[in-house]
Amino acid sequence: MLVSAASLLLLVWVFPLLWAILVSLKSENEVLAYPPNLIFEPIAQNYKDALFGDFSIVPSLVTSTIVAVSTTFLTIVLAVPAAYAFARLRLPAKKTLGFYTLATQMVPPVGLVIPYFLILNRVNWLDTYQGMIIVYLTFSLPFAIWLMVSYMEDIPLEMEEAALLDKASRLQTLWHIIIPQVRGGIAVTVIFVFLNAWNEFLFAVQLGGNTVRPVTVAMYNFVSVEQTLWAKLAAAALIAMLPVVIIGIAAQKQIVKGLTVGAVKGGGRR
Amino acid sequence: MTAKGRVNLKNICKRFGSFVALDHIDLEIEPVEFFALLGPSGSGKTTTLRMIAGLDSPDEGVIEVDGVDVTHAPPGERDIAMVFQNYALYPHMTVRDNIAFPLKMDRVAAADIKRLVLQAAETVDIDHLLDRRPGQLSGGQQQRCALARAIIRQPKLFLLDEPLSNLDAQLRLQTRVELKKLQRSLNVTAIYVTHDQEEAMTLADRMAVFLDGAIMQIGTPEEVFNRPRTIQVAAFIGSPPMNLLPANLQGTTLTIEGRDFELSAAPPTQAESVIMGTRPSHVRIDPNGIPAQLYLSENLGESYLLNLYLGEHLVKVRVAEMLGVTDGDTVPISFDVNAIHLFDANTGLRIERG
Repeated sequence: MLVSAASLLLLVWVFPLLWAILVSLKSENEVLAYPPNLIFEPIAQNYKDALFGDFSIVPSLVTSTIVAVSTTFLTIVLAVPAAYAFARLRLPAKKTLGFYTLATQMVPPVGLVIPYFLILNRVNWLDTYQGMIIVYLTFSLPFAIWLMVSYMEDIPLEMEEAALLDKASRLQTLWHIIIPQVRGGIAVTVIFVFLNAWNEFLFAVQLGGNTVRPVTVAMYNFVSVEQTLWAKLAAAALIAMLPVVIIGIAAQKQIVKGLTVGAVKGGGRR
Repeated sequence: MTAKGRVNLKNICKRFGSFVALDHIDLEIEPVEFFALLGPSGSGKTTTLRMIAGLDSPDEGVIEVDGVDVTHAPPGERDIAMVFQNYALYPHMTVRDNIAFPLKMDRVAAADIKRLVLQAAETVDIDHLLDRRPGQLSGGQQQRCALARAIIRQPKLFLLDEPLSNLDAQLRLQTRVELKKLQRSLNVTAIYVTHDQEEAMTLADRMAVFLDGAIMQIGTPEEVFNRPRTIQVAAFIGSPPMNLLPANLQGTTLTIEGRDFELSAAPPTQAESVIMGTRPSHVRIDPNGIPAQLYLSENLGESYLLNLYLGEHLVKVRVAEMLGVTDGDTVPISFDVNAIHLFDANTGLRIERG
């Protein structure tokens, strides 16, 4: 019973992917054939076109990589010390700051498009890497801090005190004692932040342009007023999905752990 | 070499909100002494240890180590090593790296670290476990690892926060002996926090008894056991602690539950209302004694512990044999007047008996 229910759910979830795979292997004419042909001769031309044709997505893949990797790197560099401060230090207005950090996650992103557009326009950062990365940081940082705090709070305080007695400074304690123990949390944060930045479309399409055009936006080139090149769009989408799928499979264990951290005391850390 | 590791606490006060954790305590610990801070939970003993370590700072008062004011010095500058109750080993490092950590932070040369780690590990007999991680060690081995990490730096002070409480009973006894030997061989001042008075009695050269944020008594285990300074100390020390019964004192006559006992000399006090204290082993079954009701007898193996009601007061009596009495019987008991302790019922202080 459970197995059949799970299989049904899986089928529902996997259907768009299967559809995309099938479509990406057909010619544009065959895609629009009615009734659809289930038996056809698969072709690789769509992938070639998506990668090397007129609307090649390769430059956009590079752009997406730059934006996603930079966002992820900066997020971790800033979120780890911030989370440590939230978890351990006696800060003035800690509660207020903590709430503010979370509150930024409560605003619907679409409501921020126009303000961000106006701000970036004012500082001439529309269609620039720094503009895009900073906007992404405003979403990824609160999430990353919030996630890392729960990992850090899981580490017994005595461990840090022992390090302080052993002549380690605060920074050395963070580096030698805390960070190695929250590397699982860092891995989860890296994955989530990277995936969010890689998959982001709404802000990329509004705040990007010709210079900074991530792959999610570039794929849109296959959709025009006259026609939609479904086969090429599907091929491009599958190519763009590849890093996400690879990371997802590789980090499956860490992701599940990350989602359950705090559910059982000490359960998510090791 | 002059002995190092003298600790002076002067007028230390610590509050957590409105709760007074330590109420103006003074304490002097001599070099190379094994000193126990003994008291029940919440009595202020761990707070005291943490302040000596620099992990907490006092609201008032001064802490000196070897004459130097360290009241507000950071922990790393105090040359102090500490063994935590849960050992606080670094789970991501091997035993070797755990032990080496203080030396690495101290920028000791790698070759020296290697030699000293082996030496420290040999001292506590874990040199065969150096490549394991703490998670792969038993409780006793983890404790030894924590000890090795503490001794490797040859610190001025060696602080131990209930280090035996996570071990099983048998291992605890064994480790207790080893801990004492280790402290003697290292020739270092050790400050040991425990709520277990047996540990304090067996390990310590001297001890301080804490209660409600104040030090009730400082002395050798013998002094504290044989001459408790207050009723509270008397009620805490001993397993089981001494029996405390209200009594009336008139010159040399002590009246307990309406029965007179003659003391050899009149105690130097004006107080008439006193508390008589006597250890369970100093109460005996005596056909001419005061009748008491046997509530429950406990078999301790080598002896029996009788719980008797003398009026409304519970009296514990240790006897070698049950002598045919069973629960519910009336058992006449008597006190060895030479071995009793007297306390002023109003002040709670001990009345010395010359």
